[in-house]
Amino acid sequence: MRNALPLTKIMFSLREQVALITGASRGLGRALAVEFARQGASLVINSRVNSVEALRETEALVRALNAPVLSVVADVSDRADVERLTGEALARFGRVDVLVNNASALGPTPMPFLADTSIEEFKDVLRTNVTGPFMLTRALVGQMLARGNGSIINVSSDAGAVGYPTWGAYGVSKAALDHLTRVWAAELEGTGVRINSVDPGDMDTAMKRASEPDGDASQWAKPETVTQVFVYLASKESAEINGKRFLAQNFAIA
Amino acid sequence: MLDPNLMEQTHVEARGMPPIQFMLPPELEARAPAELRGARRDDVRLMVLPRFAGEPIHTRFDALGDFLRAGDLLVVNDSRTLPGLLRARDELCQAVEVRLAHRRADDLWDVLLLNGRTHIGRVGMRLTFAQGLRATILARRPDLPFLWRMQFETCCADLLDKIYRIGEPVRYSYVPEPLPLDLYQTVYAGQPGSVEMPSAGRPLTWELLLKLKKRGIGFASLSLHTGLSSTRDDVIDAQHPNYDEEFGIPEETARAVNVVRKRGGRVIAVGTTVVRALETAARADGTVAAQQGWTRLRIKPESVLRAVDGLLTGLHEPQASHLDLLSAFVEPKRLQEAYQECIARGYLWHEFGDMNLII
Repeated sequence: MRNALPLTKIMFSLREQVALITGASRGLGRALAVEFARQGASLVINSRVNSVEALRETEALVRALNAPVLSVVADVSDRADVERLTGEALARFGRVDVLVNNASALGPTPMPFLADTSIEEFKDVLRTNVTGPFMLTRALVGQMLARGNGSIINVSSDAGAVGYPTWGAYGVSKAALDHLTRVWAAELEGTGVRINSVDPGDMDTAMKRASEPDGDASQWAKPETVTQVFVYLASKESAEINGKRFLAQNFAIA
Repeated sequence: MLDPNLMEQTHVEARGMPPIQFMLPPELEARAPAELRGARRDDVRLMVLPRFAGEPIHTRFDALGDFLRAGDLLVVNDSRTLPGLLRARDELCQAVEVRLAHRRADDLWDVLLLNGRTHIGRVGMRLTFAQGLRATILARRPDLPFLWRMQFETCCADLLDKIYRIGEPVRYSYVPEPLPLDLYQTVYAGQPGSVEMPSAGRPLTWELLLKLKKRGIGFASLSLHTGLSSTRDDVIDAQHPNYDEEFGIPEETARAVNVVRKRGGRVIAVGTTVVRALETAARADGTVAAQQGWTRLRIKPESVLRAVDGLLTGLHEPQASHLDLLSAFVEPKRLQEAYQECIARGYLWHEFGDMNLII
């Protein structure tokens, strides 16, 4: 059952909010960084070392909007990098109010059947898409709980709900991420810290094009068009919303 | 060699009562956190020592709430631990171990320079680290002559990034292997700045803190960035050098302390660092004011505690200055007897060890 929210076109201010967005060098992460900056947030943006040039471009876009920004090159699947990213973010801004676990790994493309997926590839995808968000949330949730407020947003996918062929490792990881969201939400209920997931739907991103090289990109949404639900969940307007799974493209609870 | 005239300034005043003395058997030194033996982080023991009279009670840490009342306030130190041990080379390519002690400015740190356990260092010494990081020794600290003021050629966020990339947590010989930095964090750690973990809060879990909150036990935080607990020189350590440490007490924490005191609740410091910060900020009537700054407050057995009623802490080494601070809460003779009981019962010491609530 889907409940459309009557909030679609309202702008939500993120003034005074500090947001950390992983995987912000391109695609949805970049679009979120720009939109959050536009709404007044201070930003910590992150990507892996192989996307550092693209991360600098995102940083320039955010700076052009006069948003305070810190770029941290780190691999969210790496334990030491997670602690470094956390420490640098907190050193710069004193707190993180909003965490968007957006960084994601697809595995090899063209995407293989599970029977043809190597054990290393499977583990790598789960480490980035499940263990990474767990580690980063764990590292940042404590300072949110200490203040009694904070918002965590996990980027999900319908591949986590439907068993599409060749989307094995990725789909399993997103299903696990959705369940991670549910358990966190149950534990955080009543604390002022909330966690939700968002399925952004089909978007025209480099990742999508790699996963579906023969797909019709004209049918896919631009990442800039699906940011509204993220801004809503990052804002104080969503203070009572916890443990929900949103569909970004029609801003509805799945 | 240290200048004996300079050393004189670090001597501790005669304290008028015998120090607490005991032998700590090496097998009672906690070598790793509970998680590395497959246990929960709160799976440590707790000795509850009544502050004024009564026998110690021996229990598990997760029973902490049994000894707290609605209206009490736990105050924690939320300073995050940095990887404060950096390896460098000097101009002659000799290995130098740099232990960060206190951050003085965006590119300036007070540091301990070691070759093994030997203190080294000289003005003008140039150090090269991994990641292209370089630094120069500017001066010896006149009041703490084993510390050197070091200027990095990188500053601010870039310096912090490199420290994270090349550093490792400061550890002592009882921890045989380097451990991941996240094991040196409390569950509520915020801004980084400590070079050793504010370890009294390490066993606290959010499961327990949220349960205590539901029972009306408050939670507030302050920051005190810890320096080094040891200079690696037993003679200097025995003199209890009086470090200055940076701290900050937010408005809401000062307010929480003052409200609790006014209503007759107890302020329980989680760690000696919290005692130091709150007592620095305490007025004569026991209320505290929000403030930021540096403290050199030394709490001695005869010190009158104004703002703090109880203390959750670890078990401290013989001769540690922390024992002086503990003796401000509880008569030294009773503390000594309680410590002997802990030894007899096989309690574990140090930052990953068992806990003591004095209340």
